[in-house]
Amino acid sequence: MGKTVVEADSLVKRYGQLMAVDHISFEVYEGEVFAFLGPNGAGKTTTVEILECLRPLTSGNARVLGYDVTRSEDVKEIKKRIGVLPQEFCALDKLTVKENIALIGDMYDRHLDIDEVIALLDLKDKVNEKFENLSGGLKQRVGVAAALVSDPQLIFLDEPTTGLDPKARRDVWAVIANLKRLGKTVFLTTHYMEEAQVLADRVAIINKGKIAAIGAPQELISQYGGLKILKIRGGDKALASLLQKKYDKVSLNGNGDVLVKIDDVDEFWRVMATLAELKINKDVEIQTPTIEDVFLKITGGIITEEGELK
Amino acid sequence: MRALTIFKAVFKNWMRSRSGLFFSILFPVLLLLVFGAIFSGVGSSSKYRLFVQNLDINATDATPSELSVAFIDALNSTETFGINEIPADENATEYAQEVLGPLGGNMRILVISEGFQNDLLNGTLKVRVGITYETMDMYYWYVEPYLTDSQKSAFQQGLAQMQQYNATIPDAKASLTIMLDPADSSATIVKSIVMSIASAFNYELIGAENVVEFREASVTTKHYSNVDFYVPGITAAFIMTNGIIALTATTTEFKRRGIIKRLSLTPLTKLDWVVGNVLCQTILNLMLAGIMIALGWVVFNVRVIPDAFSIALILLGSIMFSGMGMALSGFIKDVEAASAIGNAIAFPMMFLSGTYFPLEIMPSYVQTISKALPLTYVAEGLKHAMIYQNPEGVYINMVIVAVLAVVFIIVGSLVTRWKEK
Ligand SMILES: Nc1ncnc2c1ncn2[C@@H]1O[C@H](COP(=O)(O)OP(=O)(O)O)[C@@H](O)[C@H]1O
Ligand SMILES: [Mg+2]
Repeated sequence: MGKTVVEADSLVKRYGQLMAVDHISFEVYEGEVFAFLGPNGAGKTTTVEILECLRPLTSGNARVLGYDVTRSEDVKEIKKRIGVLPQEFCALDKLTVKENIALIGDMYDRHLDIDEVIALLDLKDKVNEKFENLSGGLKQRVGVAAALVSDPQLIFLDEPTTGLDPKARRDVWAVIANLKRLGKTVFLTTHYMEEAQVLADRVAIINKGKIAAIGAPQELISQYGGLKILKIRGGDKALASLLQKKYDKVSLNGNGDVLVKIDDVDEFWRVMATLAELKINKDVEIQTPTIEDVFLKITGGIITEEGELK
Repeated sequence: MRALTIFKAVFKNWMRSRSGLFFSILFPVLLLLVFGAIFSGVGSSSKYRLFVQNLDINATDATPSELSVAFIDALNSTETFGINEIPADENATEYAQEVLGPLGGNMRILVISEGFQNDLLNGTLKVRVGITYETMDMYYWYVEPYLTDSQKSAFQQGLAQMQQYNATIPDAKASLTIMLDPADSSATIVKSIVMSIASAFNYELIGAENVVEFREASVTTKHYSNVDFYVPGITAAFIMTNGIIALTATTTEFKRRGIIKRLSLTPLTKLDWVVGNVLCQTILNLMLAGIMIALGWVVFNVRVIPDAFSIALILLGSIMFSGMGMALSGFIKDVEAASAIGNAIAFPMMFLSGTYFPLEIMPSYVQTISKALPLTYVAEGLKHAMIYQNPEGVYINMVIVAVLAVVFIIVGSLVTRWKEK
């Protein structure tokens, strides 16, 4: 585990009566992709913007790269060393991709070669395209490029794929995976379960201003994800009731599949043996729990595509 | 350095937006068109316009002397003149040029000199004493043979005393100066009417000799077209609207779209941000003012040529108003509020600063208010530079504008809030 680059200690942000961030503590380590996963209004942006020195905190402590976000001399140092893709990133409409990236680059004493950054984000075809003519996915990629151009030690990406179509989303994922390969430290926020699971080394599940769970996706899954599920395709009620006599956790899903929760390999073989006895010859598959199951377990809800908690 | 980068970026962004360019030019040209059209016909009444400056003011109670007033009444009674009085403390030609500005027409100025009444009374007395002396002298010549020696010497003594007395009366003639433009086709008519009134006034007073001396001076009305007089005002107003309305709107739009937020996440300072934007607007203003004046030449037959002073003032004025715009957008949240507040400040200022109507013809409270408005100094300075070519009138305005420019830029970078709540 690398050294600590972000340290939040009992961080609080209050808007009048609302506790937008409610005593949260966590750390981000060098070289990892850290994700905040939570529904809209969970307090992701608020936390991240406190760390970016964009919003004042109500109480608690936050240090970024060893600097205190509340001290103005430290803020200058932080700004030199971080790269940010804000939520709803926007650039100057009439400037080209290259000009916009260069504009952000020129705000720093040093910056990477603009063409290199453009190549890294696969924007070569669009260098001279005006920002206003780009699709949402390409705009986000310009935003990521702008976040990278100063060669920052820490990159914040606030909801980098919200509003993108699946293809564009996967393109941005590829970019983030590439950053990880380059050894960058990335602090990501998202409301997409899959995004957190695919990209993050560690995930903090955040809801109503509190961190509900934090850890590597696999750890969280084994801790909260529950059992694996054996799915018997094209089963029926009869089969389900037959199995129910022998096993506790049997259900039918909407597609008419029979689902049996299993504790271990032994139980798997026992179910298979039962199926053989009953002379049932159907496709069988094993489903492993996901972050979604973890989230459901912890919060009792799921996050919709739009980011709402249900 | 970063200010320069910001300048280049926002400038490029602006130049590539066609709508911005269109409205920035269209607005002032429309104004020019409207004012040009409204005023080109006015001022052609059948009376001759005559400016009268009465310098004969009683020192004790600051009222004009009775005889000078009587003389002006006499001019008025002819009903041939439309008289505009010029206050005594004004520069007559400048004042007349200014009032004529929107109305057009030739400059004709009659100046009643200081001491007009005194000189007139003295002159009259001297003439009267002289006439009495001559009458007595002639009478003496007739009656001399019949007088005794003692009677003769008494008579001669009396005559000598009279002559002595007359010598003590200052030999001044009350003077009137009329300034006419040789190019003015009505100049001779006006002159002869004024002269005949002056002599009528003479006869009225003494019956004979001229005690009013009539001097002539020639003036040249600078041959500007009516529209010319709007050029400084419109240029000033346009610099202001660009700073207060346009710049405030663009920066508020940048704020709304998160562009300022993105930049505030970098080491960019607020001062650099403010200076970069002010610089951009200033360069745009210079260009647009150039385009506007060039359009004026082509379309409206404008003859004004901006000199170095005008350019310097446009520059300083732009910096000032852009600074003001940045100060405003520092605490305005949304674009609608920006344009509402911008308009609420800009339009009253436009009309209270003498940009369209000369301050001289405004009520005195407006003149007082105008002194507190920054636009007044830009407009005044430009008027002095463009129309009167009078550098002294430019300097003071330039200094005021420069000081305000620095103040607004500092205020702008102080009130700009980058932190979210
Ligand atoms: N400037 C603000 N004033 C008042 N409430 C705010 C402000 N910003 C955010 N909030 C509230 O704080 C909570 C957290 O918001 P946010 O951090 O944006 O959530 P997320 O990024 O996870 O969607 C929400 O309830 C939101 O309405
Ligand atoms: Mg958010």
